[in-house]
Amino acid sequence: MNGLMIKALAFAAVLIIATVAVVNTMHIDLNDPVNMITMFGAVAIAFITTGVAVKYINQMKTDKSTGELVGERWDGIGEYRNELPSGWAFSFLGTIVWALWYFLAGYPLNAYSQIGEYNEETKAYNTKFEAAHANADAATLIAMGESVFLVQCAPCHGETGDGMSGKAQNFVNRISKDQVLAVIKNGSNQLGYAMGAMPPMLAQGADAETIATYVAGGMQGTAPAAFATCVACHGADGKGNNGTAPNIAAYDNTLISKVLVNGKKGAIGAMPSFKTRLTPVQEKAVAAYIQTIKG
Amino acid sequence: MFHWLEKNPFFFAVGVFLVIAFAGLIEILPNFAEASRPVVGLKPYTVLELAGKEVYKKDNCIACHSQLIRPFKSETDRYGQYSLSGEYAYDRPFLWGSKRTGPDLHRVGNYRSTDWHENHMWDPKSVVPQSIMPAYKHMFTNLADIDTAYAEALTVKKVFNTPYDAPNGTKLGTLDEGRAGALEEAKAIAADMKNQEVKDAVAAGKIPEIVALIAYLNRLK
Repeated sequence: MNGLMIKALAFAAVLIIATVAVVNTMHIDLNDPVNMITMFGAVAIAFITTGVAVKYINQMKTDKSTGELVGERWDGIGEYRNELPSGWAFSFLGTIVWALWYFLAGYPLNAYSQIGEYNEETKAYNTKFEAAHANADAATLIAMGESVFLVQCAPCHGETGDGMSGKAQNFVNRISKDQVLAVIKNGSNQLGYAMGAMPPMLAQGADAETIATYVAGGMQGTAPAAFATCVACHGADGKGNNGTAPNIAAYDNTLISKVLVNGKKGAIGAMPSFKTRLTPVQEKAVAAYIQTIKG
Repeated sequence: MFHWLEKNPFFFAVGVFLVIAFAGLIEILPNFAEASRPVVGLKPYTVLELAGKEVYKKDNCIACHSQLIRPFKSETDRYGQYSLSGEYAYDRPFLWGSKRTGPDLHRVGNYRSTDWHENHMWDPKSVVPQSIMPAYKHMFTNLADIDTAYAEALTVKKVFNTPYDAPNGTKLGTLDEGRAGALEEAKAIAADMKNQEVKDAVAAGKIPEIVALIAYLNRLK
């Protein structure tokens, strides 16, 4: 054992004592296996560090340089044509293997995808939403419908649903006289009801006027004779024969859902389809809310 | 062999450049090629839509409105499907914007209509009471620059091979055909509008900026 070894062991001892001192002052519980393993690791590092240092310092003291020098010298410093140390060579080969794995499998299979995260987030949210509102009560639907209405519908129909002075459908009333006249004149086939297309010009002139006044007035009193034309499809009460034709007496769930899905172009203007923008529950909620809008 | 490189710094630098450039090429080029490929079904802008895009740029809509929907649920709930790079293939330049004082407009054509835009550009507060957007009444009288829009379309057709006049695609044709096509499209939009001056102008063969802008906004889907 030479002097260098003694110094090295002393240095290792100092490192270990320092480690123990830190462990004690920080009151680290060595019964916890993780702490124990870490402690062993620290001790091992102290020994390995000193061992490696001793090996190389001895080598520097005793080794003689051998081998063939390359031709060029940089400011008097030469370079041997030595073999690459085997440790380096194997590490280098290892990185090549790792690069192949990373290129072919590691990155493609484990890469982060923003769209993937979005899809997962959306799916999780939708599942939660559907579960929470599968059997929502009327009050919940109306509250949800109001908040959807304020974001999606209010820009055109107004925050109170009054259509903002004729810029869009006024939900306070079912239908205006002009709208009835326009539908009678042009027919309609936009909403996908089972009854199919309504042909144009089923009623004309004074008959059309009478029908429009009656329907726009909320179908009060006795139906005029001309209204018989409408009864076949829309029903005597105007409610559309249980969803086979549009309800012209009042808003109902079927009507609102069909307009939301198909969009509509009528006497006032065009409404785009909201098919992909609302979930089925939200559609129901909007329908529930619109039916609460009254003058 | 590398001792030779060590002795020749110039060629050493060339070698370093080649190695790094190769890595850059295989990383950048595939993405670049993919990004510049249009999504299926995308058609180049019509002349009228391009004129509207010019109005959009001229009146600096981009200062307050973005055209880029990010893949976050909060955004797709409000604006619709997130944007794809291929949707901007015919945008020269794209108008992503980076400021949202107003809402994103990348899919505004899905949920607003001609008559809504007409009301809104005339007086934003009439449809959105809390709006801080100024009115753009001058668009109802200023005329859109159809000829410049045609020149722009023809340029991208010639220089970048933008597929105008392809089967089932956007028709461009000669300058006269381009003007006629724009007017025809403008008439369809004016038919849905209420402003009588705009209707009269279009009937007389003039296209106010508002008509072009609405054509452009309706196209954003």
